[in-house]
Amino acid sequence: MTGIVQLQNVTKTIKGKTIIDSLSFEVKKGEVFGFLGPNGAGKTTTIRMMVGLIGMTSGDIKIGGHSIQSNFEQAVRQVGAIVENPEMYKFLTGYENLIHFARLSNQVNKEKIDEVVKLVNLSDRIHDKVKNYSLGMRQRLGVAQALLHEPEVLILDEPTNGLDPAGIREMRDHLKKLTREKGLAVIVSSHLLSEMEMMCDRIAILQKGKLVDVQTIQDFKTGVDQEIEFDVVPIEKALAIFQTMSILARRGETGITCSIKKVEIPSVVKRLTSENVEIFGIKEVTKSLEERFLEITEEREVSLHV
Amino acid sequence: MFNLLQNEWMKIFKRPGTFVMMGILLVTIVLMGGIIKYENQDVKANPDWQQEIQTIVAEQKQSLAQMENAAQGQRKYLEKSIAINEYRLDHNLAPNGEYAIWSFVQDASSLIQLAGLFTIIVAAGIVASEFNWGTIKLLLIRPTSRAKILLAKYTTVISFSLLMLTLLFVFSSLVGWIAFGMPDKATPYLNYFDGKVTEESMIFHLIKFYGLNSISMIMLSTMAFMISAVFRNSSLAIGLSIFLMFTGAQFTNLIAMKFEWAKYILFANTDLMQYFEGMPLVEGMTLSFSVLMLVAYFVLFHSLAFFVFKKRDVAA
Ligand SMILES: Nc1ncnc2c1ncn2[C@@H]1O[C@H](COP(=O)(O)OP(=O)(O)O)[C@@H](O)[C@H]1O
Ligand SMILES: [Mg+2]
Repeated sequence: MTGIVQLQNVTKTIKGKTIIDSLSFEVKKGEVFGFLGPNGAGKTTTIRMMVGLIGMTSGDIKIGGHSIQSNFEQAVRQVGAIVENPEMYKFLTGYENLIHFARLSNQVNKEKIDEVVKLVNLSDRIHDKVKNYSLGMRQRLGVAQALLHEPEVLILDEPTNGLDPAGIREMRDHLKKLTREKGLAVIVSSHLLSEMEMMCDRIAILQKGKLVDVQTIQDFKTGVDQEIEFDVVPIEKALAIFQTMSILARRGETGITCSIKKVEIPSVVKRLTSENVEIFGIKEVTKSLEERFLEITEEREVSLHV
Repeated sequence: MFNLLQNEWMKIFKRPGTFVMMGILLVTIVLMGGIIKYENQDVKANPDWQQEIQTIVAEQKQSLAQMENAAQGQRKYLEKSIAINEYRLDHNLAPNGEYAIWSFVQDASSLIQLAGLFTIIVAAGIVASEFNWGTIKLLLIRPTSRAKILLAKYTTVISFSLLMLTLLFVFSSLVGWIAFGMPDKATPYLNYFDGKVTEESMIFHLIKFYGLNSISMIMLSTMAFMISAVFRNSSLAIGLSIFLMFTGAQFTNLIAMKFEWAKYILFANTDLMQYFEGMPLVEGMTLSFSVLMLVAYFVLFHSLAFFVFKKRDVAA
């Protein structure tokens, strides 16, 4: 099955500067797709192109097979989005905002509005003016307006920005529910990996406008050598032994940390005991996604500069 | 399209600023009525008005004879005044006969400028505000073309101007009727054009006056709307439009004294009244010339607005 969203060699140049450089990837129905990259990587720019707010210099974006460039109305009909902050009409109530956006898409009736209001848990405040809403409520109203016309694709640009942990968790459960129950494709951008980890099925890593990698979260987590920490005495002697075995090791918090594969552990232990080094503990240090992310982007940085 | 218009009206009428503008208009009308009523208290119709006018006409004729070299405008003004006064004498029409409802509506019609000002403010904000608020991003990602959205916004501006004019006309009629009552007998409006004086019914004159004056208002609002859509900056749109509203005509007059090309300036053509009363700004200008120029400017403003609004990247 081809993806509901397809980016094909999308390039955006502004004033001679290439901001997005031949970006290609697909997003399938029923998955939460993370769009990850440090600030200024070009996430928002890519999202703006996906919803037709800005044009592209070359390439094409298709949504449900319709090009956003040549068949804007058909393509955008299938998309609900928040681009950057969910800015609403502050002088209107939440409900009036929803009516406003409902009128811009055909076939949205009152029942549908009530349904999405309930879905995002805004029922008791929906008739308040938006200027009195908290950031979390605005985010939820933003999601509500994006879901009004029952889109196939939901695009959220940094939806957890400014939310507290409870809000983030709520958002996450929401998105999972939407993909499971309605088969939506959800694209979420973020510069924080820890959020993506819990939320996404697959992630694309963007850096300086270039796609670094697209992976499932599982592959992403396990794609490297394990960090193993040896709690040993004496440390100096052990370090020397690691050196002779040509294993890169360094002093860790409580002992020595090194990057080796799991299968190599027994041979290292044998060698250490035979040299009379006392082993008090061996533990696996799971790398956080954050570190993994930095690792990938740094590798990339190096290879870019060579 | 109807949905889009509903949206625009909602956005205008859910903001307190709109009611402040309408309030200011209404309060100004009432104040104006009050002041005129107060000042008119001891002005009685002069029974000897014929004599008085005869003296004035004689004086004016004399100064007309003396100022052969004076500017055209002054001569024309005197000629007009003399013609109208003589007509009054011939037909026994007292000048400030009775101050009643239509006289007040006529006086209050100077507030069309105020209505124009408010329309310009709305026109200047209607596109630029969406950019300021950041809501443009949510507005343009719907299955509705940008052209349609812009058209809905412009239509709203025009209907807002009609609303303001209607409000002004109806409310000043009301205030005029309450404060000054209906006239005992209808006094006609004396129209001078091309050396001849004709009588017009007051209502007909007022409607014509409103209609012709709103042209300038519509052109300026269209310009403000264009600036708003092209530069996304409501302050610029308001500032420039209002500046031109108050100075455009004078500048054009100055230029017109020296250069004939002044007739191609927008403000030389917005006042179509010049073809019905008084005289054209530049010799040889005709009503059809002005209408053509107005249409040209109108098309230019809209082409600019639509072209830029459709093409531009929205990175607000
Ligand atoms: N209109 C613009 N003109 C010039 N540069 C821009 C414009 N919009 C974005 N950029 C640049 O493009 C890069 C990507 O920006 P953005 O897409 O907002 O990043 P992200 O959302 O990933 O933080 C940034 O370096 C930014 O400075
Ligand atoms: Mg961004």
